[in-house]
Amino acid sequence: MLSIVFAIGMTVAVSIALNLGRDAVLQRIDETLDGFAASVAADDAPEDSFSVIIRPMSELQDLPREFARVARNGGGTVFLENDYRFSELWRAIVTEDTDGTEVLIAVPIDDSEEALELLGGVLWTTAIIVVGVALAIGLLAGLLAQRRLRRITTTLDRLARGELTARTGVERSSDDLDDLARQLDTTASELERLVAQTRHLSASIAHDLRTPLARLRAQLEMLPEGEARGAALEEAARLSGIFDTIMRVARIEAQQGTEGFDSIDLAELVDEMGETFGPVVEDSGKSLTVRTTSAATVQADRQMLVQVIANLLQNALVHGGSEITLFADGVSFGVSDNGAGVDPSQFAEILKPMVRLDAARSTEGTGLGLALVRAVADRHGAHLSLGQETPQGLRVALKFAEL
Amino acid sequence: MGEVAIRRPLPSRSTTERGHMRILLLEDDRQLGPWVAGGLREEGHVVDHFSDGKEALLAAMGQDFDLLILDRMVPGLDGLAVLKSLRASKNATPALFLTALGEVDSRVEGFEAGGDDYLTKPFAFAELSARVSALGRRRSTGGADTPETTVLRYGDLSLDLLARRCERQGQPIDLMAKEFKLLEYFMRRPGRLVTRTMLLEQVWDMSFDPTTSVVETHISRLRAKIDKPFDEDLIRTRRGEGYVFGK
Repeated sequence: MLSIVFAIGMTVAVSIALNLGRDAVLQRIDETLDGFAASVAADDAPEDSFSVIIRPMSELQDLPREFARVARNGGGTVFLENDYRFSELWRAIVTEDTDGTEVLIAVPIDDSEEALELLGGVLWTTAIIVVGVALAIGLLAGLLAQRRLRRITTTLDRLARGELTARTGVERSSDDLDDLARQLDTTASELERLVAQTRHLSASIAHDLRTPLARLRAQLEMLPEGEARGAALEEAARLSGIFDTIMRVARIEAQQGTEGFDSIDLAELVDEMGETFGPVVEDSGKSLTVRTTSAATVQADRQMLVQVIANLLQNALVHGGSEITLFADGVSFGVSDNGAGVDPSQFAEILKPMVRLDAARSTEGTGLGLALVRAVADRHGAHLSLGQETPQGLRVALKFAEL
Repeated sequence: MGEVAIRRPLPSRSTTERGHMRILLLEDDRQLGPWVAGGLREEGHVVDHFSDGKEALLAAMGQDFDLLILDRMVPGLDGLAVLKSLRASKNATPALFLTALGEVDSRVEGFEAGGDDYLTKPFAFAELSARVSALGRRRSTGGADTPETTVLRYGDLSLDLLARRCERQGQPIDLMAKEFKLLEYFMRRPGRLVTRTMLLEQVWDMSFDPTTSVVETHISRLRAKIDKPFDEDLIRTRRGEGYVFGK
């Protein structure tokens, strides 16, 4: 594209140069003619020759008609076709001779025209060579720059996929592109360091909290059997359950790329989950319907999707109506129920971790269920939507990006 | 696994009584270590308890154990490194990791290093005990329980893994896919304690607690099919611990 603009520009420049050259030559000839006319008397002038014509304006009849036309315009270039007596190209002006008589004076300019053509030829050849060389250099430079740019974009792609060790590997800095590459490397190193630090931190937190929890559990188990021991063990289990979920959400949020992803057939997934959770729902006096509509295959972490479905079904069981539906529809899957639903103004609120609406305070739960669902959605670049069922109820769906 | 089992002739060191094993425990926590070691000894196992990774590695290389219980984070050499060294020197003793790093990636790390099971702290002793017996049993497995077996039998109950048929006292029983998998898991471990977590992991492939009563519900459905219509119950609940299939 740029090369086309460059070639057009070059053409225009050469044309302008040629026109300017021609004008300069013609002006010089005109001045010479003017000076010549001022030094002779038209009447003394020799007969018309191949080299000069000079005669009073009243005696133009026997000259080719083109001269008269040009004379009326005060001068100009005369082009004579097939006139063997005269040269083909003449330059003529109207001026005064030594006697003050108005005369037409003309000289042939074939030679200077030839010179101009030669000049034009040289100019055009030069232009073509210049354009060619410039294009070749440009193409080469472009290819080199493109290769370096590709290295940068490939590195960015790999980083985006979670390969935090990806670098451009540019060491020396010779231009802006190198600077950019090196800055990218520095940023990637920093990112890698921060992620490692976060992982280490969460591993330390996990270790530092699980160890005392394990001691607590051990001590409780060593107590003599009894109601108090059972209740305490249950609370300890709940505590570590909450901690597990917090760590799990943190871990999902910290993960990147497609590590652990497989092709998951959403229809197959919801069918299997239907078989797993159907009896649970039935035993609590509600009904579970599995509905699949041309469900797609997506790239996902199966364990995470299973947990999402488990959490959504658990929510529907505790807070929802008596009819629960587990659905897979195209690239979406989710759970809906016919219960009281949630006011749309509170949709954003219930996605926050540890938030439980007042109505749910009296029921069991940690308030982490939907936070995990959202973390899984983010992990997969999927869209989490809460909606109202008609006539009533809550519908929660995860929609993957279309392939 | 089998290779080493065959090369273990020392009767004094191999399993003497049914289910009793010689266990190496690597756990540096001053409370958890003695608790686990004490509990296992009470069950009749012989336990060598170490709190330093290097010492545990030396011991495991010099002596035969039926099972290794390794904590992931201990001074000296962590459990993961100990097992990697052992596996590199062709030691195939079953290994169970104990860890306070419960996340899925560290589980995967544990299995990749050659671990056979993975238990996250805090855990109930019954959970550990069930997994210890499961691993010990895996080692002394006879012909009745190899993965190649196509028909599992227990008393008057039979489960045809190829034809996917279940019969008790000659009567065909119709099982759902998960119920079939659940029963297969039980029948491969007769007389052993099986915990809820083990079932979630092995039958449902869930490494998390779904909070809903998935296991309880499916077991009660399975019981309604294989136990209720007959005089003798095969699946029994052990309160607060898990389930046992058969005697």
